Amino acid sequence: MDFNWTQEQQEFRSTIRAFLDATLPEDWEHIAHGPASKEQTVFAKKFCGALAEAGLLVPHWPEEWGGRDADPWQAFILAEEMWMAGEPRGGQYMNVNWIGPTLMLFGSEEQKERYIPLLARGETLWCQGFSEPESGSDLASLRTRATKEGEVYKINGQKIWTSYAGDADTCFCLARTSEGKGGISIFLIPMDTPGITVRDIPSIIGEGDIHEVFFDNVEVPASARLGEEGQAWEIVSKALSMERVGIPRFALASKTLKDAISLLKKEERFGPGVVEQAAKAHAACEVARLYSYQIIDQRAKNIPTGPEASVGRFSTVVCERLVSEFVVEHVPEAISGVHPMLLAHHQRGIVAGIASGAAEIQLNIIATQFLELPREPR
Amino acid sequence: MDLTLNEDQLAVEGAIDKLAGQFTTSPVDFHGFTLVSDELDKELEEGGYFEIAVVPEMGALSAAVSVERLARLPYTAEVALSMLVRPHLDIELLRPFAVIENGRPGRFVASAKTLIIIDGESVGIAHPEPADAEAMPDSLFAYPMGRLVCSPDVKQLPAEQAATVKTWLRVALASEMAGLMQAALDATVEHVSVRKQFGRPLGTFQALRHRLSECAVLTGGVRWLALKAACTGDAGDAALAALLAQDSATRLIYDVHQMSGAMGMTLEMDLHLWTYRMKALLSELGGRGAQANVVAEHCF
Repeated sequence: MDFNWTQEQQEFRSTIRAFLDATLPEDWEHIAHGPASKEQTVFAKKFCGALAEAGLLVPHWPEEWGGRDADPWQAFILAEEMWMAGEPRGGQYMNVNWIGPTLMLFGSEEQKERYIPLLARGETLWCQGFSEPESGSDLASLRTRATKEGEVYKINGQKIWTSYAGDADTCFCLARTSEGKGGISIFLIPMDTPGITVRDIPSIIGEGDIHEVFFDNVEVPASARLGEEGQAWEIVSKALSMERVGIPRFALASKTLKDAISLLKKEERFGPGVVEQAAKAHAACEVARLYSYQIIDQRAKNIPTGPEASVGRFSTVVCERLVSEFVVEHVPEAISGVHPMLLAHHQRGIVAGIASGAAEIQLNIIATQFLELPREPR
Repeated sequence: MDLTLNEDQLAVEGAIDKLAGQFTTSPVDFHGFTLVSDELDKELEEGGYFEIAVVPEMGALSAAVSVERLARLPYTAEVALSMLVRPHLDIELLRPFAVIENGRPGRFVASAKTLIIIDGESVGIAHPEPADAEAMPDSLFAYPMGRLVCSPDVKQLPAEQAATVKTWLRVALASEMAGLMQAALDATVEHVSVRKQFGRPLGTFQALRHRLSECAVLTGGVRWLALKAACTGDAGDAALAALLAQDSATRLIYDVHQMSGAMGMTLEMDLHLWTYRMKALLSELGGRGAQANVVAEHCF
């Protein structure tokens, strides 16, 4: 066991920092507000293109798809640095974390050729069509239906809380092809397909993040289906396991805490009660960091990740909450926009326990799979 | 970065688990607060386990892992200070060790051959005569508690060494707390898995499942910070681990007792052995406020 970074890992981190220093504009902190604003989405396309040219967008992908087979540690160091910088990749972080790798695992040759090069060049934005008005945590109850008519599917239904849908090029969409959990399939749907309507829902998270997406007789070819009919649950489980620890939220939370403490110290507002609260938040960030590193360590050694992913994610939710509460209580002016990066963290952090599977779902998984408690009756 | 125990560290963990195997069950007729095992102490001594921190292939990390595993036992012995603090003073110092903090009673004080005397900022070493200390058999803390009745000669440590000793006391505290938390959690998981109310095991009720899951996240978190602090020996890391240990145990103690109900209140269930050991650790080294100040000094 060794808690130090290797020389190579340190150098890789320095390379990313140098790239960020050279690439982020002086007014970046004003662009970074909210994770999906128009301004940031436009900037992200330019930024991701530059990142790809520098070989830093998908280094952990196979060479065949534009990467260089970098190990999971490098992928995570990259993600840490991006999140600490306020995630200049915008919604494209999903491409890197799980959309690309999922397509590599389950996509047809046609789908791979069509989508992966665009993802690897940083030229495309996707959205995730999972949640529906009646299906949030209980995702398997979703109602959007894909009906096969000859060589096409007709899709009807509604998605909601969909991040990035307003600017996305493609939707990774779950739809029902038959009844039950095993009756859900995945469709890769271009967002300009006739019959799709996107409505922006104003939110605390900032402009452009949450949407409703309506599918009204949306016709897609059978070749738009990812995997077999009914394979969605298997594919999504794999994708979510990548997503759960794909976002090093603790890194931005930790940086936010340090920035808040620096402000308070400068203004002589870092008194005794504040110190204890700050120290507890710092401990929570470090716990989330080590739990996440444990999972990356397993990935690097090809050890399958079990319920530890849920432990890691729940610990991340705890640290996000403690840091957010610290800022709200002790640097309240940040929430009024005085410190844009602290506000950006607040808006990203507030969804930590909700997005990619609610915190309570993680606790259920921990109870059943980690503690091996008897299951709840259904 | 490598978060898996290496072969040497795994070998130590395996050996400790094997040794601990004979001490995992408390005697059926034991209904007390202090379950000390001289046999456990003797086996650790004879096996050279109190010196593993100074063996290069093993180091302080192996010692912290060992402390954590041994703290899970219903039996106790003076392990943590000997394994983790003594190497930073003088490995030849006689054990058992104990700490007297600002004149208060402490764990293993009546049997200690070496005392670490903390008085405010100063740290000193004393070697008490048997008549200098007395046992406090009525204490609820599930360690053999004792106090000084005479003042032995104290050799004050230079400030730098005093700070080092405090750092390793914090590592020892966090490592021990991690094991105590794990044992209390395991006992509670077992209890709610078999105890039925309303026709089904308590562990099927989500109100308890979520709290136990949170306790599991806290417990593993304390273990990670303790192991990291043992690896780095950094004062900030150690204070952070001790802070999290004291904060998390405060929460966990309440939850495990609440879920164990009246059974956990009796001395027939071993739960109190771990929860009252945790309670003894909650106030050590100044408690959460003091750990937070050290964290602030080194990390912010």
